[in-house]
Amino acid sequence: MKKSFIKFSFYVAMILFSCEKDYLEEPKPSGTVNSDVIFQSKESAEAMISGILRLSRISYEKVDSGGLYSIFFARVVKGNDLILGNGWYLFDYENDNREPTYRRTTFTWEFPFTIINQINIFIDGVNTSKYLLDSEKQPLLGQAYALRAFYYFQLAMEFQNTFSFDPSLPAPPIYREPANEGKAMSSLTELYNFILEDLNYAVQFTPETRFNKSYVNRSVAFAISAKVHQVMGNWQEAASMANSAKQQYELNATQYRQGFDDMTDSEWIWAMPQQIDQSNYFDIAPHSFTDINGDGYGLAYWNRDFVDLFSDTDVRNTFNNQFEGEDETLYNTWTSSKFKFDFASDIPIIRSVEMQLIEAEAKARIGEETEAANLLFELQKNRDINATPSGNIGESLIEEILIERRKELYGEIGVEWYDAKRLRLGISRTGNHRIKSAADLQPDDKKFYLKIPQKEIDANDNIDMGINSNR
Amino acid sequence: MRVKFYNIVITLLLLQGITAQVLVKGVISDEMGIPLPGASIVEQGTVNGVSSDFDGNYYIEVPQGSTLEFSFVGYGNQTFLVNESTGLDVTLFPDNELEEVVVVAFGKQTKETIVGSVAVISSESLNNQSATTITQAIQGSIPGINIINPGGIPGTNPTIRIRGIGSINAEASPLIIVDGAPFNGNLNSIAQEQVASISVLKDASSTSLYGSRGANGVIIISTKSGTKSTETSISLSSSYGNSSMATSMHKLLDINSYTRYFWEGYRNRELYENNNSPEVAASLASDNLVSSLGYNPFGVDQPVNNQGRLVASPEWNTDWKKVIINENAYKKQHGLSVAGGGEKTSFYFGSNYLKEEGQVKTTYFERIATRLKVDTQVKNFIKTGLNISYTSSKQNAPNQSGLAYSNAIQWIYSLPNYYPLYRRNNNGELVSQNGQDLILDYGGNKIQTINGVRPAFSGENAYGAIINNEILNHNNYISLNGYLKFEFLKKLSFNSQFAYENATADNFRFDNNQFGAAATVDGRVSQSRNFFKTLNAIQTLNYKNTIGIHTVKADAIFESYEFEENFFNARGTGFLPNIKVLNGSTSPESVGGSINKERLLSVVGRINYNYNRKYVFEASFRRDGSSKFSRDTRWGTFFSAGGSWVLSNENFIKNIDWINRLKLKVSYGELGNNRGIGFFPYLQVFDTGFNQLSKPGVLSLQFVDPNLSWEKTALTNIGVEFSFFENKINGSIEYYNKESIDLIYDQPLALSTGNESVKTNVGAVKNSGLEFSFKSNILSQDYFELNLGLNFSLDKNQITELTQDEFIDGNKKWQVGKSLFEFYMPKSAGVDFIDGYQMWYKDVVTDQGLRTGEQIKTKEYSEATRYYTGKSSIPAAVGGFSINSLYKNFDLSALFNFSFGSYVYDSVYANLMNGFETAASQGHPDLEKRWRKPGDITDIPLFMNGQNDFNSESTRFLFKNDYIRLRGLNIGYNFNQDWIYKLNLKKLRIFFQGDNIFTYQSHKGIDPEQALSGQTDNRSHQMKTYALGVNIQL
Repeated sequence: MKKSFIKFSFYVAMILFSCEKDYLEEPKPSGTVNSDVIFQSKESAEAMISGILRLSRISYEKVDSGGLYSIFFARVVKGNDLILGNGWYLFDYENDNREPTYRRTTFTWEFPFTIINQINIFIDGVNTSKYLLDSEKQPLLGQAYALRAFYYFQLAMEFQNTFSFDPSLPAPPIYREPANEGKAMSSLTELYNFILEDLNYAVQFTPETRFNKSYVNRSVAFAISAKVHQVMGNWQEAASMANSAKQQYELNATQYRQGFDDMTDSEWIWAMPQQIDQSNYFDIAPHSFTDINGDGYGLAYWNRDFVDLFSDTDVRNTFNNQFEGEDETLYNTWTSSKFKFDFASDIPIIRSVEMQLIEAEAKARIGEETEAANLLFELQKNRDINATPSGNIGESLIEEILIERRKELYGEIGVEWYDAKRLRLGISRTGNHRIKSAADLQPDDKKFYLKIPQKEIDANDNIDMGINSNR
Repeated sequence: MRVKFYNIVITLLLLQGITAQVLVKGVISDEMGIPLPGASIVEQGTVNGVSSDFDGNYYIEVPQGSTLEFSFVGYGNQTFLVNESTGLDVTLFPDNELEEVVVVAFGKQTKETIVGSVAVISSESLNNQSATTITQAIQGSIPGINIINPGGIPGTNPTIRIRGIGSINAEASPLIIVDGAPFNGNLNSIAQEQVASISVLKDASSTSLYGSRGANGVIIISTKSGTKSTETSISLSSSYGNSSMATSMHKLLDINSYTRYFWEGYRNRELYENNNSPEVAASLASDNLVSSLGYNPFGVDQPVNNQGRLVASPEWNTDWKKVIINENAYKKQHGLSVAGGGEKTSFYFGSNYLKEEGQVKTTYFERIATRLKVDTQVKNFIKTGLNISYTSSKQNAPNQSGLAYSNAIQWIYSLPNYYPLYRRNNNGELVSQNGQDLILDYGGNKIQTINGVRPAFSGENAYGAIINNEILNHNNYISLNGYLKFEFLKKLSFNSQFAYENATADNFRFDNNQFGAAATVDGRVSQSRNFFKTLNAIQTLNYKNTIGIHTVKADAIFESYEFEENFFNARGTGFLPNIKVLNGSTSPESVGGSINKERLLSVVGRINYNYNRKYVFEASFRRDGSSKFSRDTRWGTFFSAGGSWVLSNENFIKNIDWINRLKLKVSYGELGNNRGIGFFPYLQVFDTGFNQLSKPGVLSLQFVDPNLSWEKTALTNIGVEFSFFENKINGSIEYYNKESIDLIYDQPLALSTGNESVKTNVGAVKNSGLEFSFKSNILSQDYFELNLGLNFSLDKNQITELTQDEFIDGNKKWQVGKSLFEFYMPKSAGVDFIDGYQMWYKDVVTDQGLRTGEQIKTKEYSEATRYYTGKSSIPAAVGGFSINSLYKNFDLSALFNFSFGSYVYDSVYANLMNGFETAASQGHPDLEKRWRKPGDITDIPLFMNGQNDFNSESTRFLFKNDYIRLRGLNIGYNFNQDWIYKLNLKKLRIFFQGDNIFTYQSHKGIDPEQALSGQTDNRSHQMKTYALGVNIQL
């Protein structure tokens, strides 16, 4: 009896193991793919580029921390031209949002690094792929290196004083490949060298063609290079890169009447696209915030001193006194119709006008003032039929170019903050600002950069707990 | 495969064969050695039998290999297998108590033979208890269980933890078994009145049969059955009650204080931060008050003058709490059950209806639960049965926790009374539609300069969200659970059980096309459906034999389990008014879906040996193969062993009068945990769906640890069970030690790696504790009976091993020797009486980076040192207290539960104490005691309208969270039998039922049941209910 019981158990075990294989093997993941599939062909590898671009505009924690556009808009509200009502980005507007535990600090650190990690996984996958030909790998890697340089450039701008202040200062860590262990801080010199290394590759190998303007082509690589050189003060390189970047992107003044929401516009070099089923809804900046008549947050107004810079015939004069001229002292007097808000609004990242002005500034700084003035006037004439050349030279010419940058790029990339930082100037609040001198930035002010997030320090053994002292 | 299986069983039957006759003789005596005359000796399965003579002698001839059964009235039976002619003296033991039979893993056991830790709520106590849900029945009734009902949405699944928290990122809740099969539905879908008993298995020896799913304990629910050969009875019950919040919410500022305080915050910024003169600062505050707040209920340009005084009275004063909270909710329940049985068949049918409203208006839960159970004896060796249950529920659950704009509770705690419910024009006059209907104010009217745009939560109105939007959860759950049992012999039986579950969870969300966030797209409907089904097949072979004083029980079990989840969702916008179905969408927004499957294959063995009812030994083994792991790590082996010593059956204890029962027990086992880690946690994959316009996009998912392995738990249990003084006092004391090894945790990674965390095995954590359970029958007289019960556990949590020195995650820091749940945060150093700024402590560090041990105060939050607080979010002691009493026709039962020693970080309160950092943010009346001028000694910093860290996370908002709650109180009156007999009734009882009617709590303003992590989250509160009802039995 007992023997048969043992025999029986044995049979049970036999049956069990004989059918185990099929039974437990059958469940397979659905909706995900493994890395072999991704790096098997150029087309499937491009799907990861698409994913990375999509990631750059995905909703993160809150409205004011929602993608590349929110880093740009936080820069915009730090300046003097835009006046922010009470709401999102409030503490950025007050220039008081840089402590290690704050959302701005954590987001502005985590977001570029999240993208960089995906890029590193991509680079690693392409490099080690057995299936891709070298001629296929180079254009893919070109796009990846351009993107990596772009995001490291944002980190360099946000987490330290500008390069020309002191290049030996600590800068965010450099990751050349995917890692799960935190690295030590780099220096600004190391970081900018790394960025230039990536860009050198990108301007050679990034393809000319692309699916649409949200992808990186060689023009985008040139444009990123122009911006990096501009910040580093390499004017020769900045001028030539900017010139290469703007080719094929003709000036078009009419978009100022069309809402700045369509990336197919001839001026746009690089953009974040949206469509109704791929929307960040109310979160996108600047459109949701500056379009007072739209359905978005609509709480951004314009400094009357800034409005005064525009002539009546300047197409960029999109301003309207919503109290019909009655009271210009209220902070919410001047509204702008530059950006039209919609769930499908596209968001500009780089336009050819910026390139034209980088080229003009660079030429002015290397003594080619006539060319600089011509470039400047070409733009001014395009925007205002009554424009006349100023005849400025020297510092006045450069000053005029910087003002032109503000008049052209307002709301888009935080041009005031960007220029004040790289040129080591301050920003003073004037006019009808809601928060005035309390939010001023002195030249090389610590408020120009953020502290290192506490979450990073907590989890990274190679960053000292005291990293933020004296930051 | 199944055919093969039965073949084997039949072969086994044939093995019995036909054999020769043997002769057996001997003496039958009792435990004292006195011969028992007239005892019966029967060959099992036949009519062949004899009786013992006056001296206890017997003599019988039986075929070789047959079983003899010895019995005597009042004594337990014994059976022996006989293979040869022999002398066999038998000792029978008295059945001094009717041994309680307990439902355990894959079967039943007598309480005496259990070596592990099994706590039972019997049908008797379920009937007496005042609980109305299964969770309530367990909470406070069994030591070692911590139950939390986070939030007050009725019908929401509770958080249950048995013996501490053994897992952080994998599943830590117990496995739930209903009538022998794993249950995947919502615990609230089972009607409490249809439950016969609940067993909670806490240690390894009792749960190891569930192997990879047993590490967090097991709750076994057995539903009611009919009884054979009984008259059919019909029971009806009905109750109706009125509910309101069980505990009060935080107090809030009134409109006048809010306005004045905001002025002060603005003035302070201009004065102290922007260094203006007091006069300039005050007039700036008066000038800018209205433009900062966007609204003006006071009708004058400067409602607060430059002295900080109000100069007008408000035209509105919105009591958001009153608008949003349902102060007059109801709860009703009706039940019907029919049970009975004929000679061979028994049946039970039960149906129960419940509807319950919650704290926030429009919140409700409605459920119908029906169950039909039939058991029948087909042949004398074949038994079969089927248990069908169907539950349908519907829940409307407006947001009432978390950070969404529309969270009604957050709204009450965030928006000052300063803002109106209905839209006002520039002059503060009500705006109406068509000259009559008022329009709810969504605070997003940009055309209006005043009373148009709210500085916070613009474009939303929580009351509007409640009444205009819908968040409906429809759940349907069906289970079919059948078995076929063959009893070949009294010793050997085979049971085949199949359980099938099929459930649909439908989440429907409608955002109104006219109001709120979706108005700009003419409304949005989001609907998701999750279909899941499970198929569980369990084949069990049971063997039981008693030879003299030896009893052996053995089980061999083969189990297969499949879980399939089929998810689908769709979202669309553009709806005409009053259309709320996706068909009406003019613009589809998204679709999605996935199918995932999990399988588990197991072989299980258990052996239980009982020597003379004194020593019991049990060992079990389980081998599990799980599709969640890679082929190399798929199989896990789990085991347990345990023993018990029934001291009260030893002669040297038997003579002690006051000891009725005394048992020592010990067990050890190792179990695994494969739940809560996703379907394929070992695969590094790319996720689809990150499309860029028309181009498909993929991204790499979270960093995966390829060496991820099973989380294992080693459990030790030592206990004593006792019953003293004629069973007047009984209970148990147990010590447990539960060590989770290779704990799976989402370990935080440096953000700069681009990964937030990695799921990995980080170390080991130990939960240990003592559990006490006492029951006492204080009084038992004809008219008056009083029973008291007390149980509690003292638990400790400690990290015993980590793969790295330490790591910090939020407000917890992990270090060997510390608890997982100890708060780690800056220590508040009070308020500087000179400038009113908040201060924290900071370690003094030398240039070499060494701490001097000295602490100084700092006003820079980023410099504040974080310290272990010595305060944990899990309680040191949880338990319950019960009273059951009968007096003549009255009965009373009360059940309290309590929790002591835990702390809660009240971020909601912290937010209310923000001191007007931002505009449009509600405050707490405690703010009255803020710092106002140099020299003020207070704990509350000055008001400051501007970014500051005053209310940042620190010990300032860490509160002790002890509570005692009267979870249920039931007082009933039973009508006299002779009277109701005339009405053809068997029973008529009317009762009062009170749920949560009394709560003592050390920190007020919240519901004491928050999350295990000890964080508040703007959650709604549980309800207290006063109900009246009736029970009728026909």
